[in-house]
Amino acid sequence: MQILTANRLKLGEVAYWNQGRWVSRLDEAELMSGAVAEAALKGAGEFVRSGEIVAPYLFEAHETAGRTVPVKVREAVRAAGPTVRTDLGKQADLGKKTDLGEKTGLGKKTG
Amino acid sequence: MYRYDEFDAQFVRERAEQFRGQVARRISGELTEDEFKPLRLMNGLYLQLHAYMLRIAIPYGTLSARQLRKLAHLTRKYDRGYGHFTTRQNLQLHWAQLPRVPDMLVELAEVEMHCIQTSGNSVRNISADPFAGAAAGELEDPRILSEILRQWSTLHPEFSFLPRKFKFCVIASDEDRAALLIHDIAIKVIRNDSGELGYRVYVGGGLGRTPYLALEIGSFVAKPDILAFCEAILRVYNEAGRRDNIHKARVKILVHQIGIEEMRRRVEAEFIEIKKTGVLELPAEELARIGAYFADPPFETLPARCEAFEAAKRSHSDFADWVKTNVAPHKMPGYAIATLSLKPIGKTPGDCSSEQMDAIAALMNTFGQAEIRVTHEQNLVLPHMRSSDLFALWQKLVPLELATANHGLVTDIIACPGLDYCDLANARSIPIAQAIAKRFADLERQHDLGELKIKISGCINACGHHHVGHIGILGVDRKGVENYQILLGGSGAEDASLAEIMGPGFDTEGIVDAVENVIGTYTDMRQKGERFLDTYRRVGAVPFKERLYAR
Repeated sequence: MQILTANRLKLGEVAYWNQGRWVSRLDEAELMSGAVAEAALKGAGEFVRSGEIVAPYLFEAHETAGRTVPVKVREAVRAAGPTVRTDLGKQADLGKKTDLGEKTGLGKKTG
Repeated sequence: MYRYDEFDAQFVRERAEQFRGQVARRISGELTEDEFKPLRLMNGLYLQLHAYMLRIAIPYGTLSARQLRKLAHLTRKYDRGYGHFTTRQNLQLHWAQLPRVPDMLVELAEVEMHCIQTSGNSVRNISADPFAGAAAGELEDPRILSEILRQWSTLHPEFSFLPRKFKFCVIASDEDRAALLIHDIAIKVIRNDSGELGYRVYVGGGLGRTPYLALEIGSFVAKPDILAFCEAILRVYNEAGRRDNIHKARVKILVHQIGIEEMRRRVEAEFIEIKKTGVLELPAEELARIGAYFADPPFETLPARCEAFEAAKRSHSDFADWVKTNVAPHKMPGYAIATLSLKPIGKTPGDCSSEQMDAIAALMNTFGQAEIRVTHEQNLVLPHMRSSDLFALWQKLVPLELATANHGLVTDIIACPGLDYCDLANARSIPIAQAIAKRFADLERQHDLGELKIKISGCINACGHHHVGHIGILGVDRKGVENYQILLGGSGAEDASLAEIMGPGFDTEGIVDAVENVIGTYTDMRQKGERFLDTYRRVGAVPFKERLYAR
């Protein structure tokens, strides 16, 4: 399965696609299969032109125990924030609402 | 320290306002992302994993207290309360917001700073010896030429669209504290047999996926000719460097493709043509005018030995430990060079908080330091400390977490931002640096191991200089999982060499054990007085590999 992601133009913050709108949390992202994902990516051009987002692309993810888990570490870091500064990025806003860090082996405070 | 003239000041202010207009047009949709991206890159603004990153140029790594206070203010007002000093002696802010960047540039301009040419295919910030003007044995302050090169290369119309980025470095001592030979053009101030000062010029160094050390192209370039000579190199590169493949576009590739002899022939031919015009001849008056900005501060006449300093070392062993590694000899009796480590155990190498920046600026005033230096090893340097003030300085640094006694030791690790921040990275660097530092935190053990430089990059682009680490670590992506390769035997110092890769990589847990394994081979095989690098060079890779991959 794939997820469409981008960064918001003004803040540079990570955003995800979910059925017609851009959301901020990985858990809210829409998991899509091949053709749907490709169509969504194509459609993202409109939002780049309107200045809402930049640099859209697809990444691989799957659902495990009701949670969305990206295949690559990169996407886990984007979804949470720097693993060495757990007080910053989305993880700081999400607080205890997510155990994304543990799911991906990241988010363990190392310093 | 160089001061902007009215032209410089006006230009930088106008450039900030120009960017304000560009940002407004991007946000309104008047500019597309494709149109805007090169404009933001010209102002050092990247889009990273979580936000925009603003890279601020610190010419030859020199900052005044006023500038440092401004950086503290910027990190607090526009960012998240810290900045990251880089291996190119710059500062990166990781949480910039696009609409506010023009205000950041305006504020930077107020203290004669900017982000111009910190990105893009242009001549980047000139780096230099962080001990410039202070080191014993230095021939002249390398920042004089660095500043001249900065002025010549900033917005140079012919070199605004080079095939790829271009990095200069200047040193003037036999000790190399600036990783000279990994730069596109590397210049060393030397004295010839007639006693004249001039420049030895090297070309074609660089790391990344194709690492090379720079090769000598000019054994002695006379002072008035240096701009003509550099212009000749850049012109040859600009015309002949590849533009079809980003990975083969650096001057190092050209030099190694055509050979240094052919490169020298082409540069000499171009140099003769440029010299005929005479326009780039550097007048002695201009050299003297720029030189005056880097004149020595008013040094006092002090005894070489300071009794109070010696007594403080005897009574405070922690202070003595710090002096052993973080204090270097100064050219003037009674003075010393102090390195402020940005590598407290378990913290992010190179990070400095707003509070630390403010506190350091205050200490600069307290101890009469007009300047502080940023090192490529991601530390800070107070260049002209009175030895008698060192104990008081150290006492102030301890609560600020700026007195870690580890300069040049195993925990003084270079690490790029890696996958925690960087869009290009394949693996995280910082947590690996933190884990290694924690493993080797014991200071007695660190001193026993002696000089040992670990350098970590989170991708092949090698911002963390892994190719020139005594122990280099390269993070790669193996099917979505972080994996770390070990390289041994590199050096970015005066005994420069490129490290050799050992073999298959290790996972995030295994890499720390692997480093300990490698260090174990060293301690078992070392002879008296040998550094890690010396032992490696004597015995070669085989014993290290055998133990590292023993089943």
